[in-house]
Amino acid sequence: VKGSEEEKPGFNFDAYMLEKANKVNQALDEAVALREPEKIHEAMRYSLLAGGKRVRPMLCIAACELVGGSESVAMPSACAVEMIHTMSLIHDDLPCMDNDDLRRGKPTNHKVFGEDVAVLAGDALLSFAFEHIAVGTVGVSPTRVVRAIGELAKSVGAEGLVAGQVVDIASEGLSDVGVEKLEFIHLHKTAALLEASVVLGAIVGGGSDEEVEKLRKFARYIGLLFQVVDDILDVTKSSEELGKTAGKDLVADKTTYPKLLGIEKSREFAEKLNQDAQDMLSGFDPKKAAPLVALANYIAHRQN
Amino acid sequence: SSVISTSFDLKSYWSSLMCQINHKLDEAIPVNFPPQIYEAMRYSVLAKDAKRSAPVMCIATCELFGAHRSAAFPTACALEMVHAASLIHDDLPCMDDSPSRRGQPSNHTVHGVDMAILAGDALFPLGFHHIVSNTPSHLVPEPQLLRVIAEIARSVGSTGMAAGQFLDLEGGPSEVGFIQEKKYGEMGECSAACGALIAGAEDIDIEKLRRYGRAVGVLYAIVNDILRAKSKSKKESETKNRGKSYVEIYGIDKAVEFAEELKAKARAELDGFHHKYQERVFPLYGFVDYAMERNFSVVDAMA
Repeated sequence: VKGSEEEKPGFNFDAYMLEKANKVNQALDEAVALREPEKIHEAMRYSLLAGGKRVRPMLCIAACELVGGSESVAMPSACAVEMIHTMSLIHDDLPCMDNDDLRRGKPTNHKVFGEDVAVLAGDALLSFAFEHIAVGTVGVSPTRVVRAIGELAKSVGAEGLVAGQVVDIASEGLSDVGVEKLEFIHLHKTAALLEASVVLGAIVGGGSDEEVEKLRKFARYIGLLFQVVDDILDVTKSSEELGKTAGKDLVADKTTYPKLLGIEKSREFAEKLNQDAQDMLSGFDPKKAAPLVALANYIAHRQN
Repeated sequence: SSVISTSFDLKSYWSSLMCQINHKLDEAIPVNFPPQIYEAMRYSVLAKDAKRSAPVMCIATCELFGAHRSAAFPTACALEMVHAASLIHDDLPCMDDSPSRRGQPSNHTVHGVDMAILAGDALFPLGFHHIVSNTPSHLVPEPQLLRVIAEIARSVGSTGMAAGQFLDLEGGPSEVGFIQEKKYGEMGECSAACGALIAGAEDIDIEKLRRYGRAVGVLYAIVNDILRAKSKSKKESETKNRGKSYVEIYGIDKAVEFAEELKAKARAELDGFHHKYQERVFPLYGFVDYAMERNFSVVDAMA
């Protein structure tokens, strides 16, 4: 099994994570400044700057650097995918959806700002993500920026994130949700935006079509992996450890991988997905691919 | 500028464009899996009472500069998609709690609150996707397309329509002018600016059309308030929209005066276009008169 033992000794993943997360946080802070009307911008910033792990922005930057682009070229896209991720969390947590009180260890957006502001803050983050890429990306041909916007739009809408959410809602409480449907949910609900993160990075970084498609496949495996691990953590960890409500899937009677396959088989599946993902990176310079390899291992072995 | 009065038939121009726009919107949102979401999206976007003012304004400003309307159609449709998304979310129980919209029950009363939120969330990106994948690249260079996307995103965003909706929910009477600007002026401004951007207009002309579109949008909203105030009973005027109408704050006379000012302002922004572009400016004068007079029903014209 490829794993952390195979990482190049010269690559310090923790330091990499910390450095990129700091830069992303700073860029997000600057991108969504406190403006009039203040409350709506406060609400946007409350969730956006709540200290997520910034996995999506990191994937975006790492993919960009892998194909030869610079961090600054990827930063607007990296911020945009985090804005959209945050927006989807704000809307998912609403009482009419998952009705969550806790997110990233803090009260959810609507608990603090009210449902009306939470809906608007989500909408504003969604549209701002596109504006930010269109206006903020420098040193990239307009053709590539337009292509990146198309990819992002597809990953968020009814062909992506929203499709996963809809099938998820429709499947709640059903006893006959099979692996295929579960995979549909996660490929759309989780993997689509992870895929966009990687693909956007590769596009603005100047990657060839072949490179973009390889990285797209890498991202799909990672996306599924992310959710399998999430499902495992939901049944094995406490709310405190997770920073969100644990056991939520069981209470909501949601279909999960552990429920369908059992914990052990779910863990084996996760290992297989990690392996498949890393196989997609084999054609790249191993030194340049190290961050993505480490990110895959991080997603596979994270504890919250 | 007021000497330019035309025999231009706005009703025919508008209704024939509306027919094409409806057809394109229908094609743009086919029902795929999962069908619930596409049905919810189609329900609002294809509402039969939708007048398509934003798309028609966008196409008219594009045609003003001599560009072909096929360059503008994808953006015109996108304006309608993001507009529908905003309206769906504005109507939610936690927002305006509106039972109806465009002559039919509001989205969430038919499709549920969860589906209504998601339908809005899907329509915003669909708009952007529709622009980048359907705009003929030989007609509109990519840098212009990026400006169009930024324009639409800004106008629906936290300093645009979302700000208007927020202040509408929270704001006191003194905010009414600002709210009208944000809720109605933004869409008019954005539609006119997008058409000009697509046509590759010069910045000075884009700015003129920006101010023109904003004035027409606000004019339209104020005349709505005036018409509503004239027709509704005392009981109705005491319901929840109290304090959000220009007429209720400043009175009918002042509202009519303000409407006249906006009309003059909108027409003034068109000065010079007639000399350069002749009859292609007529639809833009027509919109000003329509916003003021409401002399026909474009929805009836379609029937």
